[in-house]
Amino acid sequence: MQLAGKIAVITGAASGIGRASALLFAREGAVVALADINASAGQHVADEIIQSGGRAFFEPADVTRAADCKRLVERAIREFGRIDTLFNNAGIIRRATVLDLAEVDWDRMMAVNVKSIYLLSREAIPHMQRAGGGAIINMASGWGLAGGAKAAVYCASKGAVVLLTKAMALDHGPQNIRVNCICPGDTDTAMLREEARQLGEDDSRFLAESAKRPLGRVGTPEEIAQAALYLASDASSFVTGTALVVDGGGLAGSR
Amino acid sequence: MRGLTAKRILITGGASGIGAATAARFLEERSVVCVLDRDAAARQKILHDLPGLCAALAADVSNLEQVQAAFADAIRLMGGVDVVVNNAGISVRHNFLDITPEEWDKVMAVNLTGMFYVAQTAARHMVERGGGVILQTASTNGMVGQPYYADYNATKAGVIELTKSMALELAPKIRVCAVAPGYVMTPMQRAEYTDEMFAALNAKLPLRRHAKPEEIAALFAFLASDDAQYITGHVYTIDGAEITGGLASR
Repeated sequence: MQLAGKIAVITGAASGIGRASALLFAREGAVVALADINASAGQHVADEIIQSGGRAFFEPADVTRAADCKRLVERAIREFGRIDTLFNNAGIIRRATVLDLAEVDWDRMMAVNVKSIYLLSREAIPHMQRAGGGAIINMASGWGLAGGAKAAVYCASKGAVVLLTKAMALDHGPQNIRVNCICPGDTDTAMLREEARQLGEDDSRFLAESAKRPLGRVGTPEEIAQAALYLASDASSFVTGTALVVDGGGLAGSR
Repeated sequence: MRGLTAKRILITGGASGIGAATAARFLEERSVVCVLDRDAAARQKILHDLPGLCAALAADVSNLEQVQAAFADAIRLMGGVDVVVNNAGISVRHNFLDITPEEWDKVMAVNLTGMFYVAQTAARHMVERGGGVILQTASTNGMVGQPYYADYNATKAGVIELTKSMALELAPKIRVCAVAPGYVMTPMQRAEYTDEMFAALNAKLPLRRHAKPEEIAALFAFLASDDAQYITGHVYTIDGAEITGGLASR
């Protein structure tokens, strides 16, 4: 049990990597506070954990709103007493060039993918400081390190997450708060299929294209959750300010 | 009200009148709200008035392609839609003998066909994701006759039957209700009556006044909430007892 007794807040926990992380963290002994904008699916994840004997709650939240973030952190503190890990996982995608991108999409994507990290971290960090430390994990992307076609705002938002992570690591290292981010490659989630839909491409062709990388396949949500587990656990106690690439070698180089 | 926090709400005709008041109420309930409206000036205004709105989407509900595109936008921006307030509507005061085929078609296109387009688009999404609530704006004019609004009244009677039929087919996963307001002081109403007409009319109403849009919004919020989980398939009249009595009660 790599997270025995640890308390973790996970956003975007209703589906995909967030859901896989919630289930994995709970299996590894963590008590989890889950949040998502999708209330029914999010509650279902919490129920699944509780039925397996774990401790969890689900709080419906739009992480772009300060009040929702405050409520989530306050509830975690009230019910569990402490926050060891904040996993800022919630994210959305819009596949478009700047010419095709609507202003509402730009604003919403920057708010969900970047601003939410600021809103939640500023609520959680004071509690971590009081407890003597903690770990923050931010969801970035391979496209936060390299550009991708028809993904202008997504790349901009994930690039911002990578540097926000490093800046926060500098600010909060002295308080024993580690801040890292994960840069997954294409992962088999509903969001990946949503990309195919947005680009008007056939699902199977899009997935086959996504699999073109050294390991010859896309990742599973569980494989990305394993990276989050490492960054949340004491195994990574000297790791901060890093961007952990988990992409089957996709960014390793060109052939 | 219970269960409205972070619920994702889409309101058609949401930039003014009852729709705008409903958007404001759901924001107070900490829901996530997109409005859809064809009126660009009204969209600008509501974005200014309600800075907490997720988005004000452009669409004419009588155009299926525009409805589907705006719905896809709402799903992308909010991650899904839990509640649709199917509210867009128009009315024209005219004598039955003068209604032109074009006027008739226009009112039908927005109030009934548009309501159907939104309802079906919403229901398909909700069936796919396992549940949801669809609330539709009917009118007391869909229950009793009123002169000079024959076309409008016919559409609102249609909305009531559409609501009931949808509720039966879409149960148990999706709840479908209609709200039937009486006289509400909206821009639509303001434009059609003179002050003298308002005074004469209010004197005849048991509560002696029009409803405020916020009072209709409160009913929508209740029907969308978890407090109303056993409520589906019916029409909820909110009219200050306007149609409660007959002639003998006046």
